[in-house]
Amino acid sequence: MSKQLKKTSINLEKNIMDKVKTGAVRMKPRWYFIFGSLALSAGLAGIATVLIFVNNLVFFLLRQHGPMGQWRLQQILDSFTWWLPILALIGIFLGIKLLQKYDFSYKKNFKLVIGGLLISIILASALIDYLGFNEIWSKRRPMRQFYPKWQQAEQGNLELPAGRGRMRRQ
Amino acid sequence: MLAIKTAHLSDETIVELVRKSDQELYSVLIKRYQKKLLRYANYLINDEDLAADSVEEAFIKAFINLNSFKTSMKFSSWLYRIVHNQALNLVQKNKRHQSTDQILEFASSLDLEAEMISKEEIKRAKKCLSQIPLIYREPLSLFYLEDKSYEEISDILRLPTSSVGTRIRRAKLILKKICQNN
Repeated sequence: MSKQLKKTSINLEKNIMDKVKTGAVRMKPRWYFIFGSLALSAGLAGIATVLIFVNNLVFFLLRQHGPMGQWRLQQILDSFTWWLPILALIGIFLGIKLLQKYDFSYKKNFKLVIGGLLISIILASALIDYLGFNEIWSKRRPMRQFYPKWQQAEQGNLELPAGRGRMRRQ
Repeated sequence: MLAIKTAHLSDETIVELVRKSDQELYSVLIKRYQKKLLRYANYLINDEDLAADSVEEAFIKAFINLNSFKTSMKFSSWLYRIVHNQALNLVQKNKRHQSTDQILEFASSLDLEAEMISKEEIKRAKKCLSQIPLIYREPLSLFYLEDKSYEEISDILRLPTSSVGTRIRRAKLILKKICQNN
């Protein structure tokens, strides 16, 4: 070690301890970190929940509905709510960023962790769709507002306004 | 006096005491690690003044965030991690770092491990070390010059242990090439 470095190490201790003793630097309280950790977990859980719901909604919208459903793919694509997959992508990005904050992220195969998380989200979304929750949610508040209006109209929950090419409901 | 009293205490026990009762004990931790950290920061930055700044800043950050340290982990790894981050921030600010995407590809079957055992070779290696890209310099200096295990290096650099091994292997090849050219 050079003389300069030796001299520096002597000053270093004094400089730091002076700041500690005078209160110029203070330790952050334990609750600050507990709150941060809780917020991190809540954020991750929130993002996972939103992702499951958004993904499930995409499955629901892509499913063929009613008689002659196979002919309505174009209609589905035309009226598809594209913000849903965009929101899902943003959610995935934020989820990965939050996962990286955890200590295990570099100890495990991180790609595998992300892959596992995405597969779990897709499976959970498919399960919700399969169990018929969409049919219930699209009819009831407060979830109804997330479903497209044409979907609600098809299920008789919303009256479409009369206009050209539209028939009045009897 | 303080150092003698606390000589038998582990870093983690001292951290617990600093957090709960005696903040002045933090000086014991500074004494234990300042030289090692200055040396490590100097390997990364190649500038003694900047290395000293980054170590001082790291000790202050460590003190401020001491309550976030989990005593089940190794304090030294946690501290090295903070110094590492500080040093990299300084490197980026000063733009003195070498390009990290500069990967030298060449074949070699020789192992440098045996060579690096002698002090003379370590001295020579340090000189060559400053010339290799930062991503290889970090694990190599921690492993050979700071005597850290793969597990500790993994904790410091936040890399899987397998990646630590790969980088050290590649770093040795690059180092050999550079040392041979010098």
